[in-house]
Amino acid sequence: MKGLIVRQLIVDERNELFDAQGMRYAEFPSDFSRIREFTAQILADCPSLFMEGNLLEQQLSEIIKNGIKHGNHNDPEKLLRVWYDLRKRARFIVEDEGEGFSEIENWNEFFRRRQTALFDQDFDTFLSLASYRGPRSDDTDGGNSLIAALEYWNGGMIFNDKKNKVGVVRWYAQGSSIAR
Amino acid sequence: MEWIMSAPDSGGFENIVLKGDCDLYAAPAFAKAMQSRISEGAKKLRLDLTEVGYLDSTGVGAIIRILQEAKRSGCEIRFRGIEGSPRKVLKMSNILAIMKEDGQA
Repeated sequence: MKGLIVRQLIVDERNELFDAQGMRYAEFPSDFSRIREFTAQILADCPSLFMEGNLLEQQLSEIIKNGIKHGNHNDPEKLLRVWYDLRKRARFIVEDEGEGFSEIENWNEFFRRRQTALFDQDFDTFLSLASYRGPRSDDTDGGNSLIAALEYWNGGMIFNDKKNKVGVVRWYAQGSSIAR
Repeated sequence: MEWIMSAPDSGGFENIVLKGDCDLYAAPAFAKAMQSRISEGAKKLRLDLTEVGYLDSTGVGAIIRILQEAKRSGCEIRFRGIEGSPRKVLKMSNILAIMKEDGQA
């Protein structure tokens, strides 16, 4: 019988995922209505191998949404900054101008209880815990983007100390074959 | 995204066919419409995602809210046509495990 392993959101200011040397850069106003447009701009020349259908677009869009909505509260005067590198793997650093994701510990505890219920096949409890609801959650918050993100970003998902910047990377089995 | 509802089939299921991107802009309205249908008394709904090519966390959240409302109201929800990226997103979110698809017992 396999044991339960529950991943966590990690804070590590000095993690190498925050080294932006050699990465490309773009910045965007905090316009909620243009989140998918901004994502498409960043991925305009992304190798198709990395796109995996529209999975990369979807996962990057979630991070951009979190920064624009939860970080910058859709304030058009506040910028979302994105560093990106699509050589051999998909790597991003996304920073907003907000106060930071202060609920990380609550979220990790929510996720532990959620995954425990799933592991125990307690589906009633699992369904009640399926979505994370924070103090500012509304109808456009699925409450599950970070759950999929922990699975998707197989090279790590790290927050800085202030928790307003996240570094992520996804590696691909054939990534080194991409000529850039 | 738009959705088309049809009258109950021989098994008593109302079929709802979704078309387009079930994303942060479209999913909240869809969730509200399905929650309303359930609160109005629907007892069997089948959501057909065959023509949904993009599903994000708001879309997954909409499905969760529909499942929660259905459980409260004693409504059976079935799914059809979950493929490609939407299926991967639902699997990564661990939600696929609690979704009944056509063909499952």
